[in-house]
Amino acid sequence: MIDLSAWTYPILFITLFFETFLLVTYLSKPARERRNKVVSDFTPPVAIVVPCYNEQDTIKGTIDSLLALDYPKDKLQIVLVNDGSKDNTAAVMDSYVGTPQILVIHKENGGKHSALNMGIEAATSAEYIGGLDADSFVAPDALREIIGYFDNPRIAAVTAAMSVYEPKNILQAMQNAEYIMGIALRHILAAVNGLYVTPGPFSFYRRDLVLELGGFRKAHNAEDMEMALRMQRAGYLIDNAPRARVYTTAPMTVRALIKQRTRWTTGFVRNVLYDYRDMLGNRKFGALGLLVLPLGVLAIVAGLFLFFLVIIQVITQIISTYTLIRGVPLSYSLVPHFSNLGWYYIPLTAVAMLGTIITLGTIGLIVVGKRISNTPSRLFSGIVAFMFLYGLIAPFWLMRTILDVMTGTRRSWR
Amino acid sequence: MSLFTRNVLISLIITGLIIGTVVYAVNYLNQQRVQELTSIENQLSTDTLSVETQFSLLESAPCENFTSTSSEDTTFSQELSSLGDKLSYAENHLGANDAQVTQLKQEYTLLEIRDYILTKQLSKTCHLKPNVVLYFYSNSDAECKQSCGRAAYNLSYLHQIDPSLRVYSFDYNLDLAALKTLESIEKVQPQFPAFVINGKQVYGFTSLDNFETNFPKGMFGTTTAATSTSTTSKK
Repeated sequence: MIDLSAWTYPILFITLFFETFLLVTYLSKPARERRNKVVSDFTPPVAIVVPCYNEQDTIKGTIDSLLALDYPKDKLQIVLVNDGSKDNTAAVMDSYVGTPQILVIHKENGGKHSALNMGIEAATSAEYIGGLDADSFVAPDALREIIGYFDNPRIAAVTAAMSVYEPKNILQAMQNAEYIMGIALRHILAAVNGLYVTPGPFSFYRRDLVLELGGFRKAHNAEDMEMALRMQRAGYLIDNAPRARVYTTAPMTVRALIKQRTRWTTGFVRNVLYDYRDMLGNRKFGALGLLVLPLGVLAIVAGLFLFFLVIIQVITQIISTYTLIRGVPLSYSLVPHFSNLGWYYIPLTAVAMLGTIITLGTIGLIVVGKRISNTPSRLFSGIVAFMFLYGLIAPFWLMRTILDVMTGTRRSWR
Repeated sequence: MSLFTRNVLISLIITGLIIGTVVYAVNYLNQQRVQELTSIENQLSTDTLSVETQFSLLESAPCENFTSTSSEDTTFSQELSSLGDKLSYAENHLGANDAQVTQLKQEYTLLEIRDYILTKQLSKTCHLKPNVVLYFYSNSDAECKQSCGRAAYNLSYLHQIDPSLRVYSFDYNLDLAALKTLESIEKVQPQFPAFVINGKQVYGFTSLDNFETNFPKGMFGTTTAATSTSTTSKK
């Protein structure tokens, strides 16, 4: 019989190598310089496009947070694009008509990419275009933090530092820890131009470049990822502003989370394996082609493999324990036998030790993410949930992703 | 050299160092475990020799002295049992074919046989009737893998109910002349798990209730069943 657990070692090696790479890059000069960058006085004309579809409950908060941005009013335009909402979104938007900075557009439903493109077309005076999902809110200094990073003409886009807006349950706390780890990852990978996505919440682009590249595409419902890959393929850089804080609402139920992540992951797989396969393993794209994209694909396979391995081992253990203790009173079987305590019996195997190091590295990334972004958030419960829950839920969207990709299933956005 | 290439090389070196350290730490810990086993074995060896010497010295009235030092005897048995547990753990971690494990098992087996002989001598001299189980397993027998584990677990349970039950476990295939002699004297066949319970051979393990019928009635405070366990033969 093949010993599947032997495959754990290469997975552990690659994970440890990746974490070490992140640490080394975090300590390197380009990353240090990015962290120490001071907010610039550079205030070019910008426009922020807010594509909306049925966001009546959150759109007002989003618009108000944009109006509160610390940026010259005459250089900031907010373009609200109602993408054929069926709820009260249009009325909420219309209540802002007359506000000098705000432009409201209503259109037939055509998908997020079409709303973004319409907003970009409309913002003719802007040099830089930002997007903000209508369920997200920005910190007042976020725009100033971001704009300063466009100091290199090769930088096509700059991403922000996302976290979850006021986590209300354990699932959102878990996602918050994950998002904050994402802040650290984006900050570090930006130093080697390894970013493959410009997330919907508050990523900024050079407007002329977006138009030159042909605007946003539907791109398997992952238009933000596709745009980033297109920019990378065209030879541009994508940077990150780690202190540009943006808060987004996260799914509150497991079902909604799995649906959202299935969309993200199928978008990643379809974009990378179908439309941008030439970038995968391509030296020309450096860290992105040789490390980030291949590891992204590997993570899907390895995540599922480890999940099933654990399931098999747990079932085997339950059966073998049942077989062992069958017939013996539970009063003996369930009571711990302290003769087996002491240093001698500490199960310090290579897998356990490497697993512990990797876990500590993951926690370290979350702490780094919080520190570099100054995100005001309590993380303990989120980290605990991330450590214990994430591995139980993620395999379900990974399985669904593989099934969807294999069967060609296309799911709706919501 | 690009930043990416430089960082990849540095990371590979650091990853290699971390893995090397982990492997070293695991090996070091295993060595410490083996040393701990050796240390316990040395102590037990001295204890055995001491008891044997006591026994020889007090030939005229050994029983009084040994019953008076029964607590030491219990401690000795506990240590022997603890050593067995640790050896079993080491066997699982280092592998049954590990040379050090094999050597330690041989020494442990010798200690068990000496304790068994001493128990027999004491019983004969002092007219005691201890309940003794010789338990034989095999690492090379596929069927034994599950049934032997269950048998060992049940024996541990029975020992907990009645601590006076003396259990000696042996790897049937261990290359040790003394063990082969014991197997020959006790007429143990290679059918696993194999037991010699108070001098009677018992093969196989089906259930605890059946197994208990091989012991004196009421020994474990339960009603013994009428049927007996698998194949049995009188010595």
